[in-house]
Amino acid sequence: MATATTAPHRGSARFVKGRTRPRLRVVHWAFAGPAAALFIVFFAYPLGASLYQSFTTDDGGTQTWAGLAQYRRMLHDPVFWKSLYNTGLLLIFQVPLMIGIALVLACVLNQSWLRFKGTWRIAFFLPSVTMLVAYAVVFRVLLKTDGGMVNQALGWFGVSPVDWLNNPVWARVSLIGTITWRWTGYNAVILLAGLQSIHREQYEAAAIDGAGAVTTFRKIVVPQLRPVILFCSITSTIGTLQLFDENFVLTKGGPDNATMTPVLYLYKVGFDQMDFSYASAIAWAVVLIIGVLSVIQFRFFGQSDKAASTARSERRRR
Amino acid sequence: MTLNPQHLRRGLVLLALAVGAFISVLPFYWMVVAATHSNDELFHSPPPFIPGGHFLSNIKSLESSVGFSRVMLNSLGIAVVYTLISGLISAMAGYGLAKYRFRGRGLLLALVLTTMMVPFQVLLVPLFQMMSNLGWVNSYQAVIVPFLANSFGIFLMRQAFLDFPDELIESARIDGSGDIRTFYRIVLPVVKPQLGALAIFTFMSQWNSFLWPLLMLDSQDKYTAPVALYTLVGGTHVDYSGLILGSFLATLPLMLIFFIFQKQFVSGLLGGAVKG
Amino acid sequence: MSMRTSRRSVLRAGIGALAVAVTGGCATGGGAKKPAKNLNAQAQVTGSITIWSWDVAAKALKRLAPAFEQQHPGVKVNVVDIGYDNAYDKITIGLKSGAGLPDVLQVEGQKMQSYIGTFPSGFYDLSTLAGPLKSQFNAAAWATGTDENGKVYALPWDIGPCGVFCRTDIFQQAGVDPGSIQTWDDYIAAGVQIKARTGKKLLVVDPTGDSTFPMLLQQEGQGYFVGGKIAVNTPAAVKAMTVMKELNDKGLVDYEKGWDALVSSNKDGNVATAPTAVWWSGTLTDEMPELKGKFSVIPLPAFTPGGVRTSNNGGSLLNISSQSKNSATAWAFIQFVLANSDNQVSMLKNEGIFPAFVPALSDPYITGPQDYYGGQTTFKTFADLAKDIAPVEYTGDYSKASDLVTTATSAVMQGGKDPKSTLDSTAQQIASATNRQIAQ
Repeated sequence: MATATTAPHRGSARFVKGRTRPRLRVVHWAFAGPAAALFIVFFAYPLGASLYQSFTTDDGGTQTWAGLAQYRRMLHDPVFWKSLYNTGLLLIFQVPLMIGIALVLACVLNQSWLRFKGTWRIAFFLPSVTMLVAYAVVFRVLLKTDGGMVNQALGWFGVSPVDWLNNPVWARVSLIGTITWRWTGYNAVILLAGLQSIHREQYEAAAIDGAGAVTTFRKIVVPQLRPVILFCSITSTIGTLQLFDENFVLTKGGPDNATMTPVLYLYKVGFDQMDFSYASAIAWAVVLIIGVLSVIQFRFFGQSDKAASTARSERRRR
Repeated sequence: MTLNPQHLRRGLVLLALAVGAFISVLPFYWMVVAATHSNDELFHSPPPFIPGGHFLSNIKSLESSVGFSRVMLNSLGIAVVYTLISGLISAMAGYGLAKYRFRGRGLLLALVLTTMMVPFQVLLVPLFQMMSNLGWVNSYQAVIVPFLANSFGIFLMRQAFLDFPDELIESARIDGSGDIRTFYRIVLPVVKPQLGALAIFTFMSQWNSFLWPLLMLDSQDKYTAPVALYTLVGGTHVDYSGLILGSFLATLPLMLIFFIFQKQFVSGLLGGAVKG
Repeated sequence: MSMRTSRRSVLRAGIGALAVAVTGGCATGGGAKKPAKNLNAQAQVTGSITIWSWDVAAKALKRLAPAFEQQHPGVKVNVVDIGYDNAYDKITIGLKSGAGLPDVLQVEGQKMQSYIGTFPSGFYDLSTLAGPLKSQFNAAAWATGTDENGKVYALPWDIGPCGVFCRTDIFQQAGVDPGSIQTWDDYIAAGVQIKARTGKKLLVVDPTGDSTFPMLLQQEGQGYFVGGKIAVNTPAAVKAMTVMKELNDKGLVDYEKGWDALVSSNKDGNVATAPTAVWWSGTLTDEMPELKGKFSVIPLPAFTPGGVRTSNNGGSLLNISSQSKNSATAWAFIQFVLANSDNQVSMLKNEGIFPAFVPALSDPYITGPQDYYGGQTTFKTFADLAKDIAPVEYTGDYSKASDLVTTATSAVMQGGKDPKSTLDSTAQQIASATNRQIAQ
């Protein structure tokens, strides 16, 4: 091997910290190679195809170059803007609500006096492993206007039936509720693991100083848990920006597009309206938005970039 | 007997916890209820709230309508194969990205990053074309192969390996161990918790994955469980009790896996993510 | 050095070869909007065919396939139930990529029109073979399988003539005679009386997937498009939307989302009527056997006294995908299933599929009394109504228009917006999404 002799010390060239110029060597690629090949074939190519498609118009399978026409159309599309507005609402209300509840829940589950911890944990984690098809049916039964279980329960307290899925305002509330139901326990379990890495002595020291539960929470738990909270927040933010499942099964984006999100919209434009060019343009707008938000997050939380980058990678495919 | 304020506080916390758990589990309870009633009983309002007596007959009709045991086996096979191969590929790629510097490394990282930002739905058409050009439509590899490079897994493993001391690898090399042997013998065993967490995670997401298998699989004996269950939703007729029974049974394995491995799942996931 | 170059060029060649393999050298997909292939009638009926269908329709095909296979030795018919909810995802992606589709596809009428408009080359042109059958099929159903020039792409399967299913016990309790309802004004007046006397609402509307407004519009003989122009804000459309608004304003609408809620609201008698298509009857007999004898069917109320008293909701067709390699057998099977009175009637009996094949409608099973409806000749009522269904225009942009109209409907009904101005702005939105003109 000619390359082996040019490198004075075999090891130094390969480590990240090494000073030698990087070069193409089989063993370096051996590990990343399969993943790289798969990414190029099954991701980079479709990605390029979709980017190209976003600059075309599509008429019965014939694509014609159209420059920025689809992007211009997007700027004047009220449904697209409404979907962004809805996403903004979710980011402002749903994500903090869920992370807040998850944090409190994690603290409770971390109490030393609590028994049957495993059972509690699985009770709260369960919603995140539900199959989507069941999710749809069960929540429609629960949220049905006339005779739905939630309305019946409210009826016991003299509350008149609420139109959970058909009124634009309540449909948003239902969406927030169901997303929270599905993902709170999941986040709580992750936060719990973070809590368990905080040393007992710190709590004890706080207790000796006479700190109450709230003070301990504010002064010890939150600062120590910052990276984990950040991890959960970023995961949830990205999940929200790509929200599809919940509103797809629950409301199909209605009523009056009150629960429409960009990804559900691009799916409808592509598959219902068969306009894949416009759908691609919307997708790339979503990519751009996530990209910009990522940069902002990196600026703000630069020191915790490890949490951020892992969080960004964690999302489910359906 | 005096009321101890600490006990009172704990009691209140327990009560709140129980209410929360009740809300969390209520839909599952109702799944059990629905799974044991016949379809027309479910349409009453209020819907039934105690389990009924149709469990066995529902199972029988589920088996005959969608071949439930067959599609569960399909799901299991696909999820296991996917989990094993993509786990290995993620570990290798994570190691490569963490410990080697090579040409194109930055590009690969960028590619991994973009994967995460792109809504999967937009890739469907080109990917579908690709699968049909390869002649893979209606095959299991079409469900498995395109997503073997799992960006989440690669990142998780890369973070795990970044913490791995270079000295250990170096000393293995001095002992004459080759790169690949070092990887299997020395490096992999150390990141077992992360690998385990990753395996649980990928298994769960593959198990529940719906849209891609739906587009790829064209014969009912190859369907995965979610795809098969969706055929119970018709235009003018929906078999709700079958649907709910099926999805309840299909969720059970995931519950079991989480219950058994929950400690590893969480610590492994976090080990790579936020520690260090 | 030389080693590296050669390795790299090998790599490049390899990637190139791989690229050709995966992209098939056809990165843009689809191909030009070329005319549909003509069906070759001469070929032998042999070999195997695959059909995508769903629900009871798939069951019917599976039931009929063995008889066909017996008639044609060496033929194998594969019926795949692809589920209803996501069937069009599968079909659309197959049409879009020009690959992956089976021989025969079940598609609903309005969706068939979208497909013909967007992917005309995705299907076989059946004009030569199916043309002679035209007179035997319901005219409105036939129109959903043809393009604006009368070219035939699909053979109609079933049809959904509309009427009003009335809960006789609730009507009785309220002192209203269903038979006295002649117009939509009568219907609303009846609803008000029923609500006052029994507290029950009149009908269920799903605001995210409403089918009542298009039903009313078709009753007036119009679709969302007329002559290729957008027609969602014509006087007829405004009239239909005004009926919807009045139903809401009088508090007669039970808003429910999804099929399950629709069924249970009717089963529990929360509503007194269901203005919908004949296939609703199958739901009644399957899910509400205990309500036997409590329903009667009247024709749809008219907009003006003596006006048309029906419309259409639903109905599928069977077409042959241009990707089929065995179109002759596919056509033979379609003909066997659809253009055959015995098979059509057996599908109504067993699966509740109401035939678009006119000769089947004179079968005694259809003209005779129905046990579930206390001996009324319900199917005959629908069979008679079916003749009056007005064919309407859908165009390839139906899906786009439909989404926007649904939004308009919920804006008018629940948002309290004015029908005329809302539909005007909906027409504008459709215009900018489709580049079509608005009809004047």
